[in-house]
Amino acid sequence: MALNPTDYAVISQALVAAAREMGEKLIRSAFSTILREARDGSAALLDRDGNTIAQAELIPMQLGTIGSVFQSCAAAYDLDELTEDDFFIINDPYSGGQHLQDIFFFNPIFHNGLRVGFAASVAHHLDIGGGNPGLSPNARDVHSEGIILPPTKFSYSRDWNGGILEKFLRANVRAPLQTMGDCDAQIAANRVGTRRVGELCDKYGSALVMEVMTEFQNYAERRFRAGIAAAPDGVYRGEDFIDDDGIGTEPVRVRSKVTIRGDQIEVDYEGTDPQVRTLLNAPLAATMSATLSCVKSVLTSPDIPFNAGVSRSVDVKVPKGSILNPNYPAPVRARMNICYRAFNATMKALSQAVPEEVIACGFDTTTSGCLSWLGDTGYSVYLEIYGGGYGASVSANGCDAIDMPMANCANTPVEAIDQDYSFFRVEEYALVPEAYGHGTHRGGAGFVKAFRILKDDAQVALYSDHFRFPPQPLFGGTPGTTGACEIHRGGEVIQLGSKDIRELKKGDLVVFKLGGGAGYGPPDKRDVDEIRLDVANGMLSEATASSVYPQYAAADVD
Amino acid sequence: MRVGVEVGGTFTDLVAVEDGHIVLTKVPSTPHSPDIGVMNAIDHASVNLSKVEDLVHGSTVATNALLERKGARVAFITTKGFRDILHLQRHDRLNIYDLRYQRPVPVVERRDCFEVSERVDGHGTIIEALNTQAEVDRLVPALQAGAYEAIGICLLSSYVNPDHERAIQSALEAHLPGVFITCSSDVSREFREFERASTTTLAAYVQPVIDAYLNRLEKKLGKLGFKDRFSVMQSNGGRLPVGGMRRNAISALFSGPAAGVVGATRQAMRSEVGNIITFDMGGTSTDVCLVTDGRPSLSPDTILDGLPVRTPVLDIATIGAGGGSLIWIDDGGMLRVGPRSSGAMPGPACYGRGGTLPTITDAHVICGTIRPEAFLGGTMAILPERSVEAFEPLAKKLGMTVAQAANASLRLAAANIVRAIQLVSTEKGHDPRDYSLVPFGGAGPLMAVEIADDLGLAQVLVPPNAGVLSAYGLIASDFAKIYTMTRRTAVDDAAPDVVRDTFVAMVAEAEADFESYELDGDLSYTFGADMRFVGQAFEISVDIQAGALKTLSRKDLIDGFIAAHHRVYMHGASAAQAIEIVGFRLEATRKIDSLPLLKERALTDRPAHQKSVMQGSDGPYDVDVLTASSLEIGSEIAGPALIEGYSTSTFVPAGWFAVRQENDNLILRKKA
Repeated sequence: MALNPTDYAVISQALVAAAREMGEKLIRSAFSTILREARDGSAALLDRDGNTIAQAELIPMQLGTIGSVFQSCAAAYDLDELTEDDFFIINDPYSGGQHLQDIFFFNPIFHNGLRVGFAASVAHHLDIGGGNPGLSPNARDVHSEGIILPPTKFSYSRDWNGGILEKFLRANVRAPLQTMGDCDAQIAANRVGTRRVGELCDKYGSALVMEVMTEFQNYAERRFRAGIAAAPDGVYRGEDFIDDDGIGTEPVRVRSKVTIRGDQIEVDYEGTDPQVRTLLNAPLAATMSATLSCVKSVLTSPDIPFNAGVSRSVDVKVPKGSILNPNYPAPVRARMNICYRAFNATMKALSQAVPEEVIACGFDTTTSGCLSWLGDTGYSVYLEIYGGGYGASVSANGCDAIDMPMANCANTPVEAIDQDYSFFRVEEYALVPEAYGHGTHRGGAGFVKAFRILKDDAQVALYSDHFRFPPQPLFGGTPGTTGACEIHRGGEVIQLGSKDIRELKKGDLVVFKLGGGAGYGPPDKRDVDEIRLDVANGMLSEATASSVYPQYAAADVD
Repeated sequence: MRVGVEVGGTFTDLVAVEDGHIVLTKVPSTPHSPDIGVMNAIDHASVNLSKVEDLVHGSTVATNALLERKGARVAFITTKGFRDILHLQRHDRLNIYDLRYQRPVPVVERRDCFEVSERVDGHGTIIEALNTQAEVDRLVPALQAGAYEAIGICLLSSYVNPDHERAIQSALEAHLPGVFITCSSDVSREFREFERASTTTLAAYVQPVIDAYLNRLEKKLGKLGFKDRFSVMQSNGGRLPVGGMRRNAISALFSGPAAGVVGATRQAMRSEVGNIITFDMGGTSTDVCLVTDGRPSLSPDTILDGLPVRTPVLDIATIGAGGGSLIWIDDGGMLRVGPRSSGAMPGPACYGRGGTLPTITDAHVICGTIRPEAFLGGTMAILPERSVEAFEPLAKKLGMTVAQAANASLRLAAANIVRAIQLVSTEKGHDPRDYSLVPFGGAGPLMAVEIADDLGLAQVLVPPNAGVLSAYGLIASDFAKIYTMTRRTAVDDAAPDVVRDTFVAMVAEAEADFESYELDGDLSYTFGADMRFVGQAFEISVDIQAGALKTLSRKDLIDGFIAAHHRVYMHGASAAQAIEIVGFRLEATRKIDSLPLLKERALTDRPAHQKSVMQGSDGPYDVDVLTASSLEIGSEIAGPALIEGYSTSTFVPAGWFAVRQENDNLILRKKA
């Protein structure tokens, strides 16, 4: 039977709407600031074999691989034996997961006894055990980073709501109200997806709905391939690096070789440095996500649905034992930053093929800042993800102070922090003038967020990057700026490393400084009115404007 | 005489009602100066302003000032360390794969943002005192130099303790006469500093514009003898006397679609239908809203031009599906409708103004639901062959006939609208099947049954003169103001007393406001508590019946919340978990004394009954064409039939029938 174009359009868009609603419910019923305010979670609908069909567009890093994470569950169990009461749970990076904080829930969807699909949700959990609250920068293996949930089948009636899994999780996390509440939010999201797909099957019949699921993947593949085919064939190379491995001082490099041939693209990370002893390794699922995000952002239209069809035209090769595909039991908590370098290296390669479609390097670093304190009533854990400035493009300045391309975390409002935490207070949250690279278009500005510590015996932990080497420009722009983390204690300023953990005293000011993106094109081509606006708005000093942009000085004389 | 004047993007509509006699007028809008269009409509309808006792106005002046960025020059004042709140926003992106992403542009430039030294914590305790004199002395020269027309003040935690904001406001007022100064605590008393700051600056941005516009209009009306009550529609569906609106400019933003919802609600209530979904389809977009027991749903906030507005507004979902929406095939071969529109120029292909791309209106022309000879009362020329030409390439790509492609496009548009309705119904935990669909706007009644069928609704109610229902909604609306306040309250044994005390204080504030508006008469109240589990961040609004407030118990609060949580999330609601109230909401309403009647305008220029041919997906079929005002009251009209009125037509497909009621509502139901 040929699929009627109207049915196809109607049902596919209904599936997209259902996935979006799942994401909305996940965030709105969540308990932790990392999920409810920062929105560090995602949701998706999968077909009956676990291929992704439609996703709530929340966090690119999580979106690329929900389907492949599912496959580790499918490999461990017979899908035909599932019942409506069952669900899969997994967070194990060495069985397809990302890092332990990201727990995936998968619920089968049945219609009249037939399995028609799966509802999936993933959320970054505030604390999942491990050596330190929220974040363990000194972990030397994955076991120090929290409890590991291998791909496992559980039953709601038996294992949740006071059952064994719920009890076990509750006992092993430091902030059970938040973590268990967020798990409930994930289950709620999956229930919503299950209900909506069921309603579609009631209306159109499950056979038609499943046919649309298949065709919608083909549709995404067709559009994705059209985007790749429009780029010139060839072999392109790019390279980028993180500051260090957190112990030594040598940069750790990623090398990317991109081959475009017709409507197929291959990204090969051969030559990338070996895995490291610290938490900076990226499990394969994370590397795949980073690569897909880069190719999708650069070569294809933003409105192509991200589903299993997309990955069919992209081959990714990652050497085993490298920092982008480590061997067990390497720690992987801070996977994002090496993934960003994979993103940057692949972007640089693509800049040779399609110079007008790429952007210069942004700060492109996940800075995870964690403040914790053990009070009378238990742990108080604050965790927030900071972005920085975006890289500039051929047509626009980089966006100031925003989350980076592979994440999309919102900030936690200062007034929400004021309500929830008594051991510290936010004292400043501001753009940093001139914290960006110059060019025909400038990079996005970095920002600062400062915390006054109000109790003794608190702790700060972080991971970040670009503390030593700034983001790199394109086509004649200047580099972006570096970040820093400082403790101001009395008259003293203590500089922290980009992967660090320190004890804090009452009265300390902890300052996170996030860097800005690099410029695109030569500065002397920049529009004078734009320079003037930056000067008027206090984002650029007269002196810098005159020295970097000769056209500004010249125009002033007129 | 009561008069409602609604200024839309294209037309300015006027409805005048006196003793059951009704006058309807449509004149072109005059966007550069909307009051000219208003005066033209009054002139065109020959309204004698000295005999008008109630004039209600709806306009998009505030919304357009924002969309076109033609508001006031605004300065923003906030707590030291947080000057960049408006520019940092929430640190997330609305489109995650767009490498050139630019965030929504605030209405205040960074150079116009100022700081004051002070700090209040989340409990309202002053951490750092404000030295008002020193700060104001420092700020005034810069504020004078900037020649600002308005100032927005939003300090951290002012939602719980507004003292510092008020102190700065009154000190600045002495130095800056004529400058409008808005405190966040007067606009939105809810936590989350960026959203509150955004709301405050938007209020400051549109207030001088609204004020000048209303002054100008009032003067013009006064010159022509008008001296009675003049009120203005708000985004919450209630009206305010013009004096109140000047101080409450934020509720003018997004007020455009509210009047239609009110008109539909009032008209449906006359058939004793209280549960409705309003469906307003215009030229470029469609607005839908859920109304339960005669009360439109409210949303605590909305987003305009990318910027958050944290004030209660009707919960209206808008999608880019209107008569002018373009139909196209994307690069993956999928049929799409909108959101791009042919706009006023060139408009649909059939208008013959140079448009060559197919639109929803063209699809209707091909299918026969729009008859060229009857379009807009036959006043506008339609070229059906242009519609066919526009559809041919698309039909070819899809391997269909032109009629099939047109029918497919209409079905897809209907499906898009169905999803918008699901946003305001199923997503909020309401089953649309408990509701009737009430279509209006130029194109609504043509597609209503298809949408009702898709959602499983049993009934469609088409109000008379569905094309000018918004203007009617103005004069049918009550006076209303909504008060909200963040006050975190644990749901323990003391909670019921806190709830009662809070509402007593809020009621007192409402009474004082309405007295200042010179509105006597009884106020009626609706009470609501925004509740959540301790630890959550998003609240669910739980209604508290006015009669139950006296005897309210802790258990009532818990039960109400648990039921609401389960309705929305289907999981996670356990009464064993701690629950808290975060905010309180009071809707104060002063009902209008009597409801004006809306009747169908008679069409005498055409036969009461004709035959026509429509093009379905499976080929042509015959259809009855009737005139709405000639339908016999109470007799059933079996579909397929097209019922033509002055401002819109209703399509009754096969399998459905229509009955005109005594109140001129047209009820459509599925045949048993």
